[in-house]
Amino acid sequence: MSDLNDEYDEYDERDGQDERAYDERDGELHDGLLEEELREAAAILDPVPAGLRRVAVDAFALHDLEARVAELTFDSLVDAIPVRGESDPPRMLTFSTDGVTVDVEVTADGMIGQLLPPGPAGIEVLSGPRTHTRLTADDMGRFTGEAPPAGPFALRLRTGREVVVTEWLRA
Amino acid sequence: MAVGTTRSTAYDGTSYTRGGTVDRADVGALVQSAADGDAAAWKSLVDGLGPLVWSVARSHGLSDADAHEVYQTAWFRFAQNLGRIREPEKTGSWLASTARHECLKLLKASRRWTPTDDPQLLDRPSDDRTPEESVLDSEEAAAQTERVRLLWQEFEELGERCRQLLRVLISSPPPSYQEVSAALGIAVGSIGPMRQRCLRRLRARLEARGTK
Repeated sequence: MSDLNDEYDEYDERDGQDERAYDERDGELHDGLLEEELREAAAILDPVPAGLRRVAVDAFALHDLEARVAELTFDSLVDAIPVRGESDPPRMLTFSTDGVTVDVEVTADGMIGQLLPPGPAGIEVLSGPRTHTRLTADDMGRFTGEAPPAGPFALRLRTGREVVVTEWLRA
Repeated sequence: MAVGTTRSTAYDGTSYTRGGTVDRADVGALVQSAADGDAAAWKSLVDGLGPLVWSVARSHGLSDADAHEVYQTAWFRFAQNLGRIREPEKTGSWLASTARHECLKLLKASRRWTPTDDPQLLDRPSDDRTPEESVLDSEEAAAQTERVRLLWQEFEELGERCRQLLRVLISSPPPSYQEVSAALGIAVGSIGPMRQRCLRRLRARLEARGTK
């Protein structure tokens, strides 16, 4: 982190001499006080918004003992090489767990997906602890829907055999 | 003003603990209780670790909406993995690291679609009025209010790196250095010296303004 060091070097040069003479314990006490004062300022001026805290409290409802979590294994935002000239490419996501894969493509217009191994499934599009919409995957494991609403979302898929829920993320 | 985080040894980054680690001692047990269905334990986790998650989102210079989404994603994912996390006592680091990765991803996404810098962000008044804020509005507390505002103003004018480090360090209760490391992707051993330099920079700024 060289840029980090650059930021401090200037300061060092200015009072490097004093710093050595500076009583360490005294300095540490001062640092602790200033940090504590800043902590109080942050609690006043930049607290966790109350509504957001409530969403996190409510998120306990998302604790789902029944479902297996399919982890994000491919995200075009991170893993894909950008295609030249394509300014707003679709977001390609792949979620996987033992034996089950869910491919999802999200654009501004909607979402299409493929469940593997192919087969019918009931799908809930979760957008928080309280809200979801329903989709159905056909016999080939294909499904389409509207683009997920703003904010993080997850898919909860109920196949004949099991329940799988995809890792939460923002589309 | 209470001294919450006095250190006893030099900055080797490993041999001392911050005040926060004491508060964090129960985290493993709370996670276990929550996984067993105890909603009160979950709430304690939200209150104990939520400010850390928020500080990670705020320290990455995201838009307001993105910061909200990062905070939510971290908690949704934690709820989803409750009972599956291998080291429940390190949940603070898990949440901080999850939030950090989401921040980096949103920054990447916003670079694709919109300019990254959001100069509005730093001046944004907070959404919700805390009881402390209401107290500060009273006449007799005016001087204290002014002091807090000045302090915050100088803090926000620090370099980006210092602002980022301090914003996470000053979440409440104080995070452990392991959590700060997970939040910012920096080595635990470098946090102490960086913290010292940043705080002394801030003090120098305050002194220059004649407010310390």
